[in-house]
Amino acid sequence: MQPSYQPEPPAPKDDVLKSHFITREGTYKLMTLSEYSRPNRVPLNPQGGNNTSSAPVRVSFLSVPTSKLNDSVVLDGFGNSQENLTNGGGRDSPTQTDPYFCPDRICFNVGRELYVYVYRGVRSASDLSKPIDKRVYKGTYPTCHDFNQETATAESCSLIIGFSAGQIQLIDPFRKEYQVSRLYNEDRFIDKTRVTCLKWVPGQAQYFLASHASGHIYLYNEELPCSPGAPSYQSFKQGEGFTIYTCKTKSTRNPMYRWSIGEGAVTEFAFSGTDAKYLATVGHDGYLRIFNYHTMELLGFMRSYFGGLLCLAWSPDTKYIVTGGEDDLITVYSVQEKRIVCRGQGHKSWISQVAFDPFTTWLADGMPATSGVPIDLGSEEDLRPSSFNSSSGVFKSVAFRNNSSLLRSRSQKDSISSVSLGGCVTYRIGSVGHDTQLCLWDLTEDTLKQPSILGRHRNSTIIPVGGAPVPAPSSNCFVDAPKASGGKEEKPEKTKKLHKRGFSLGTKLGGNSTDRSGRSGTGSLPHDKDKGKDDPVSRLLGTPICPRMDDITVIEPLICKKIAHERLTVLEFREDCIVTACQEGFICTWARPGKAVLNHQQSINSPNPGSSPNLLPGGTVV
Amino acid sequence: MGANASQLEKEIGADHLLSNEHFYGLVNFGNTCYCNSVIQALYFCQPFREKILQYKQQLKKSGSQKENLLTCLADLFHNIASQKRRVGTIAPKKFITKLKKENESFDNYAQQDAHEFLNYLLNTISETLSEEKRQEKAAPASGSSKGGTLKKASLGGGAGANSVSPASTTLSLPPISSEAQPSCSSSAKPSEPTWIHEIFQGTLTNETRCLNCETVSSKDEDFLDLSVDVDQNASITHCLRVFSNMETLCSEQKYSCENCCSKQEAQKRMRVKKLPQILALHLKRFKYVEQLNRYTKLSYRVLFPLELRLFNVSDDAVNGDRLYDLVAVVVHCGSTPNRGHYITVVKSHGFWLLFDDDIVDKIDPATIEDFFGLSECGVQKNSESAYILFYQARDCSAIETNKTSLFNHQ
Repeated sequence: MQPSYQPEPPAPKDDVLKSHFITREGTYKLMTLSEYSRPNRVPLNPQGGNNTSSAPVRVSFLSVPTSKLNDSVVLDGFGNSQENLTNGGGRDSPTQTDPYFCPDRICFNVGRELYVYVYRGVRSASDLSKPIDKRVYKGTYPTCHDFNQETATAESCSLIIGFSAGQIQLIDPFRKEYQVSRLYNEDRFIDKTRVTCLKWVPGQAQYFLASHASGHIYLYNEELPCSPGAPSYQSFKQGEGFTIYTCKTKSTRNPMYRWSIGEGAVTEFAFSGTDAKYLATVGHDGYLRIFNYHTMELLGFMRSYFGGLLCLAWSPDTKYIVTGGEDDLITVYSVQEKRIVCRGQGHKSWISQVAFDPFTTWLADGMPATSGVPIDLGSEEDLRPSSFNSSSGVFKSVAFRNNSSLLRSRSQKDSISSVSLGGCVTYRIGSVGHDTQLCLWDLTEDTLKQPSILGRHRNSTIIPVGGAPVPAPSSNCFVDAPKASGGKEEKPEKTKKLHKRGFSLGTKLGGNSTDRSGRSGTGSLPHDKDKGKDDPVSRLLGTPICPRMDDITVIEPLICKKIAHERLTVLEFREDCIVTACQEGFICTWARPGKAVLNHQQSINSPNPGSSPNLLPGGTVV
Repeated sequence: MGANASQLEKEIGADHLLSNEHFYGLVNFGNTCYCNSVIQALYFCQPFREKILQYKQQLKKSGSQKENLLTCLADLFHNIASQKRRVGTIAPKKFITKLKKENESFDNYAQQDAHEFLNYLLNTISETLSEEKRQEKAAPASGSSKGGTLKKASLGGGAGANSVSPASTTLSLPPISSEAQPSCSSSAKPSEPTWIHEIFQGTLTNETRCLNCETVSSKDEDFLDLSVDVDQNASITHCLRVFSNMETLCSEQKYSCENCCSKQEAQKRMRVKKLPQILALHLKRFKYVEQLNRYTKLSYRVLFPLELRLFNVSDDAVNGDRLYDLVAVVVHCGSTPNRGHYITVVKSHGFWLLFDDDIVDKIDPATIEDFFGLSECGVQKNSESAYILFYQARDCSAIETNKTSLFNHQ
């Protein structure tokens, strides 16, 4: 339902891969010498005939502390100094003090292989012939992995790897001689399906979550052995569309919990931040679900326009979640307002990875984004104990990923000078997809503040599909309907809380609260058995959690560039660069504006042909 | 085959949902996989199967002895549905013989195009049905001779009903005003609509805006399936959007504007106005290459979701956000249109099965990915890629499932 005046999204007709792109903050350049791949640089043939090629190439980063410095400022994802991790067992994550050297580590899987290298960002890549660790698997192949940022030291780290047949391995790539490899779900009693996503629980150093194609997520304690047989579960908590089970032996055996979510595979999940307060999941059933991780309550959900959701990411301030999926759309969901804020159309195919760029995301001018303002998610009394306190008031450089904990106010200021958007709330979103394109999007205040925009004029009457309960308005301005219905049950205390120092997002929220619709939506989460009789998806259409295309703002990408021959599978925003990876197994680093030339001259360990002539023929980039 | 059948029987045995369902492979009579693949896909299009089986019941009641392609198909469907065993093989000999007899272009052992066959089959059934209706009425036929396919016939009906709406100053095409809507519906249709139309027919609206006088005219065309161009690494969603992209008619292609009474540059766009119950999408994977003087296959990787909504819907579409579920996929295996093989993937009660002539296998839904196509390929490359997609509207599936299960108990 493309509006008649909307031009086609920019789509390069030629097959030439882009090596740079320009946004208003400047030029991003592909650092050809920073490319990581298999040592022989042979692309993985995605149609190689065996199914190993179907496991998406994934990338994990680790910021390695050079040493355990007690005097360094410990930053959490919010840019705060932080002392109180919820779990006392969690070691401090020390900050990098030397600004010119970041000894990060990169882990990526290509086919049956898994590599760990030193990652040098915009500086040239490490010598690919000298990986820190390289593993080739038989029978099963790696599908995802994650470093434990909280426990990592210069000498030791924990890397968990998920496999196509459901197993999980824990290794320490820094200490190969001292093998600490541990296996979970080795006999596949717990789950036989592919591991789709694997993450350490922030703040709980020993615990990790693993989602599977079966639709289950399991909590593991790295210290515990797995059940010797099929675990016996007990229903622990139940809600619409999900059930959480405890394992009867949970104090002594893995898994500790099993979350059974929706129908079909859980494709990805993400914690809201370093406090692991919220857990968001997306799945093949097309639902995004947001849980309070600790109370295990469903706080909200939304539905794709159609098809499965494949990826998600939290905004740096945890107010929004962006998803991408099989409808070729990115969808931005407001966690507070429980409604879809906008959709983004620009990809030519399914979207495989989305991310917020915390370094190009702007919160309100001169004010800490949500200091002291709890996000009302319906069942929480105080959701955000830690308040924002950044040295730079204008630019909130907030990153929730473990690996981007190296935030420095200096760099924040650098970024500020490159863009002048003072006073505006702008979130930068990136997405990559099966169309081999990278898209960048700006989510502006205009888009955020309106519950629904009269962007489309459709003069027809609305006939709800499948008898949707949404009252079909008689007037043409049917887009006012959700607003009107939402207004009835407006929560006054919410308005009060959010009305802070002219922070426009909160101000707008009060008047346009669609809370009611969102919540009533929560109540109507489908029971699986109902499917086909009174179709839940059809019922959701036209509500704030699955609006019609005419009822919602549709944004277009700032840039849309073809950057690979094969589908893209990775997008990661780092302080000085953007990292992308494609299914052929090439991991590319794009220097941010102003970060390319200077740093490149300081290249420390260039993988030029001289250093390893046999292994890097020509040292050129494919 | 026996081993295969029992294996499948074991796999589906435990599931009561599938207990009324029959999965029968079809014997290949020499390059008849184009036919087998389409028949299997149609068999698992519930509304279509139901109508065919109903037709068979009527035939039985009336004791009719007539034999045409429709009765042969009805016999075949009934034969499958009334088998005692749930899994097995059937030889569609009568149907194939009839097909070759009725249409000489299929009367050989050459590889045929599955999409052409689908088109032929649907049109033939429809013609047979409307002929029967006419005879039933015992009234003299409307007199209009049906030439060619239904698509063309209905296209002609819309031609005389061009509607004109006032111009808009904005860049956009103004929504078609209400008085402009009854375009071709008022004009006499050459043939009576049959249940083939009820199931497969949608309407495209062809909006043309004269760049001189800004007048917008629209013309409706019916379709039984949509043939869409494919693009490398695109989704079917995107291909459908491109299908409805604005085109500029200029130079030799200028549009003869009724308002200006002259040839003018114009912008044209085709969008879906009425969404069918079953949306059949034909991926134009066979492209004529002049240098080679023959057709080659575009093995492009084209993703198709299990659930679909259309973006290329006209402003006045009544059910524009209809939700579709993928129910069947006809897959072409091979490098050229004239060589290769057709297989079919179908969904039945939430399970996915692969029909390869007489072989039937239950498959993991993840296997469907294998039929997207290839992302990096020369034009010659061999591929097993989706060729025709059958999407069924969810709003009709609920009713149909209930009806069918009732029917199967008979």
